[in-house]
Amino acid sequence: MSISEFTLAHLYKTNRRGPMRWIISHALHNWYLPLAAIVSAFFNAFLLSIVQVNIGNAYNVITATSVDLKSLGGIAIIITVCSLGRGLLQFVRNGGFELTAQRTEKAVREELYVSLLGKSMTFHNLQPVGDTMARATNDVRQVNFFFSPGMSQVIGSINFLIMPLIVTPTINPGLLLTPVIFIILYVLALWEYLLTLRPVTDEVRESFGDLNTRLAEALDGIETVKGASQEKFEVKLFGKKAGRYRDAAVHQGKVEARFLPLLLLSLAYAGGLFHALMLYHFGIINMGQVISYFGLLLMLDFPTFTSLWAYSLIASGLAGGRRILELMNRENNLDQNLQGYTGPMKGAIEFRHVSFKYETGEPVLDRVSFKVSPGQTVAIVGQTGSSKTTLVRLVNRTYDVTGGKILVDGVDVKDWNLEDLRRGISMIEQDIFLFSDSVADNIAFGKQHAKLPEIIEAAKAAQADDFIRSFKKGYKTVIGERGVTLSGGQRQRLALARAFLTDPSILILDDSTSAIDSATEDQIQRAIYAAAKGRTTFIITHRLSQIRWADLILVMKQGRLVARGSHEDLMNKSLAYRRIFSEA
Amino acid sequence: MGIFEGLDAEPYDRKYSDNVLLKRIFGYFKPQRGRLVVIVMVAILISLISASSVLIVSRAVDLIKSAPTVTNISLIAGLGLIAGVLIWIANWVGRRTTVQAIAGVVIQLATDAFEASTQHDLSFYDEYSSGRIVSRITTDTQDFGQLVTIVTDVLSQVLEALVLGMVLLTIDWKLTLIIFAIMPVIFSLGILFRSIARRVTRQGMRAIANVNSTIKETISGIAVAKNFRQEKSIFRDFDKANKLSYRLNWQRGLVLNLVFPVLNAIAGSMTAVMVYTGGLTVSQGIVTAGAWYLFILSLDRFMFPVMNISAFWSSIQNGFSAAERVFALIDAEPAVVQKDDQHVPDLKGQIDFDQVRFFYKKNEDVLDDFSLHIKPGETVALVGHTGAGKSSIAKLIARFYEFQGGAIRIDGQDIRSFNLEEYRRHLGIVSQLPFLFSGTVAENIRYARPDARLNEIEKLARQIGSGDWLDTLPRGLRTQVGERGGRLSMGQRQLVSLMRVLVQRPAIFVLDEATASIDPFTEWQIQQALNLILERTTSILIAHRLSTVKSADRIIVMEKGKIIEEGTHSSLMSAGGYYAMLYNTYFRHQSLEYIQKSRELAEDLV
Repeated sequence: MSISEFTLAHLYKTNRRGPMRWIISHALHNWYLPLAAIVSAFFNAFLLSIVQVNIGNAYNVITATSVDLKSLGGIAIIITVCSLGRGLLQFVRNGGFELTAQRTEKAVREELYVSLLGKSMTFHNLQPVGDTMARATNDVRQVNFFFSPGMSQVIGSINFLIMPLIVTPTINPGLLLTPVIFIILYVLALWEYLLTLRPVTDEVRESFGDLNTRLAEALDGIETVKGASQEKFEVKLFGKKAGRYRDAAVHQGKVEARFLPLLLLSLAYAGGLFHALMLYHFGIINMGQVISYFGLLLMLDFPTFTSLWAYSLIASGLAGGRRILELMNRENNLDQNLQGYTGPMKGAIEFRHVSFKYETGEPVLDRVSFKVSPGQTVAIVGQTGSSKTTLVRLVNRTYDVTGGKILVDGVDVKDWNLEDLRRGISMIEQDIFLFSDSVADNIAFGKQHAKLPEIIEAAKAAQADDFIRSFKKGYKTVIGERGVTLSGGQRQRLALARAFLTDPSILILDDSTSAIDSATEDQIQRAIYAAAKGRTTFIITHRLSQIRWADLILVMKQGRLVARGSHEDLMNKSLAYRRIFSEA
Repeated sequence: MGIFEGLDAEPYDRKYSDNVLLKRIFGYFKPQRGRLVVIVMVAILISLISASSVLIVSRAVDLIKSAPTVTNISLIAGLGLIAGVLIWIANWVGRRTTVQAIAGVVIQLATDAFEASTQHDLSFYDEYSSGRIVSRITTDTQDFGQLVTIVTDVLSQVLEALVLGMVLLTIDWKLTLIIFAIMPVIFSLGILFRSIARRVTRQGMRAIANVNSTIKETISGIAVAKNFRQEKSIFRDFDKANKLSYRLNWQRGLVLNLVFPVLNAIAGSMTAVMVYTGGLTVSQGIVTAGAWYLFILSLDRFMFPVMNISAFWSSIQNGFSAAERVFALIDAEPAVVQKDDQHVPDLKGQIDFDQVRFFYKKNEDVLDDFSLHIKPGETVALVGHTGAGKSSIAKLIARFYEFQGGAIRIDGQDIRSFNLEEYRRHLGIVSQLPFLFSGTVAENIRYARPDARLNEIEKLARQIGSGDWLDTLPRGLRTQVGERGGRLSMGQRQLVSLMRVLVQRPAIFVLDEATASIDPFTEWQIQQALNLILERTTSILIAHRLSTVKSADRIIVMEKGKIIEEGTHSSLMSAGGYYAMLYNTYFRHQSLEYIQKSRELAEDLV
């Protein structure tokens, strides 16, 4: 088991060894709800069979030579009571599954969310947000639909299949023939139907997704479409994709149209009626019993019609459950290393033949070596895809090296206590995330009890004080509220202010902001310079001015360190480097 | 969330008269009329057969009671069998035909809507979100197609109920009236449930949307929260939203699950009433026992159609208003109107603005009495603060917007006289956020000239920084760029869109330069690509980078829709006017001088 970084005491344990077990373990937590629902489903079917039998009895009463109104009235009362009881039982059945569904949805969402909070940063960096969102939203809903209406209808209808088997022998055991044959054929036909349908619905979904994606792209890029005079091409392409979708949808319709259980149902009615009438012909049963029996056969229509859609809900509920589980069960491959090195961090860093590969085997970094003394500023430059970001993420063990070693203060990062290592290293990512909270709270995020003067001082050092004060509510301004939008540069300066408060030994800054004007550029320069002062700083930057004043410049190309040195060194050594300074 | 998207009205929506609307709707159904006839026939057939199969069963009861011969029994069972098989076959034919008809109608309407959308002006897209247009093209057209199912379902159920009703009336009108008496109750119940269900569903959907947006925000922030060990505080926000959603949604669930139990309880009690009152009439010899059984069997077949009818009108209206929304999208009027459709020969690239007046909103002129002459092959950079009118000039040359006064001439010809499609083939346009389509890099490069050969593209690509940028792409020109080009960096996207123009070889090049930060190596390559284009075209550059401004033959300095200065970089700098001020505001930090001195500057400033 991995050590989770966040847990909640009130969460109940679930069985995560398979989607079915997992979903059931959720249902069992509220065991009385599905139990009540299943019992109600059984008695709902049972009461209906009583109604059917009594209709037959009523026939016998009214066709008798002298009509006994009392017993007819008795039968009417039985039917009424049974029907009202059925309404109640049905409501308990549907409602029981509905409540199970809603509670499970809430619990699953919470379980997933807590599990996400407990995952390592490695996990979150590798896991695309869109994918996580899809599981936390759609898949969680699918698990809800698994119970209601999925299970509610499946369990409900299975009882309608079973009940004729239980009640028919009270009329005549031989009459079991038709329902038994029907059930066997029904199961086979349904199996075949679901197997045939699955690839077809997949194709429908896929072709619609494809159509929708291009449609959205074409409209978002309408300027490009018009600019290139490609309207006709796009319409043709749309037509082609729409055609594929239409074919898929029509195919699905055709498969659904020849739904065999429906035919089997008609055959069962005819066959059962024939059988019962023959028994009547031989005087084995009376006419009322024929009607009772036919009534029991009529109950088979519920499972027949339900199976058109209810079973696919079960299947997609399980698929959703599988995707959620898969996400929750993914292991965290970093251990906390509580016994590791905990000394104060000075900020010396050495990369010794560091390599890094993804699990797929794709090489990302190839034998990178360099040394940085405490307090130095290192600029990392290179084109997109040169693995600059991966390089710095290895330092705080967002990822672990797959070859070589990284030493911080002469100690391998793997031998550091993870919490101490990370506390000593502050990382400002390219996309800076701010919470919908006040500016002050966002700055104090890493130091919860910071006093306002402290916060203001940090903001001033980060050149953020001016723009914060320009907001109507100053430091109390809530980010994301109407009218408060921050530019990339402003977000970056808030993140820098955070770093000033936590005062790390090593600062890593992935800088991709661009200043629209020179005054802003001046402020960014000042803020970053102040932040770099007195600590080891890595800056992934596009700014020539920052590259120019860094103590050490690393030039990356496709995962390799192709040049390193001071500005002067590189102006002499590297043609590519010289070129970028010549055009400015 | 999905359900309410696309239902919002847009200013281009219009009300069509019933006549017009119906005529147009029929227009879309016309190509399907063969299928529609089949569908209606099948629906009638099914309702007749299933009404008669009820009759068969009940008649059988009387017939067999009196004459239980094997022949009669076989006859009854055989008839039942035939009816069942016929219904299955009819259903099969009906459903496949319905699906085909719906697909035909939906695809036709969607294609028309999309085609119309590609013809709309850019001003239209500035105003209306493309997401909503997409939902009109996909969701609304589907809703419209559902009209077929709604009508046929109700048609066949009502027909069956009518046939049975007639039969029942002829057998015994008193018993029939008892059945009819309950119908208004069922009908009002249906309407009541619909309105409650709609309200609770809306609340439930909103609560779910709320949870989802909370999850989305906090998941993006998890890395930060972990950095600072703040998991608890973001869990609290989530927990609140999750609990609220649970509360609203179980209420919704229970309300929705009330419908069928109530209906079934009513139907069951009605059966009891029928059993008793029917039994009385049988005992008095008014009707036969078979007829009594017929009444009991028919009950359900009245209840459910009535339930459906209560939803019928609103479903039909949904379909109609979906159609209305799509038609409004199709009919939105273009603002850019060409006066002629002249063939466009190879252009030299001379551009003249002659006293042009242009605004987006009335009374807020962007350009007023604006004149500008650009020589063939010239490179002109437009500079000025935001809102000075730079991009309006580019948009007018591209004919993306309509201007209100004066004239724009290309090679001396009125821009309004051209065949627009041909004219735009001579333009190369790169917008501020270069847009790529899913597909390969090569497909994107040849987007404006689909016949461009791969080796030609490769050769051009190698001319830019000796093709370094191709090597950084995992599969070179065959690299998939992802949705909207998302898998490429901003710099790579710009390179691809410049390559697009290089391959296209237009006479006129319009560039709205990106402001995004790009690594210096890629930036250098972009400059190379740009130089190649500038050599060959008349170019209008809305410049944000110092190097681009410097590469222009002429710099036009704009303010509030007017040209206030023009010249080269050095002449304007030495004049020390407005341009010198703009330089100090926007370009100073890009200069080599600033870069060289940056350390001192930063140290000074701290």
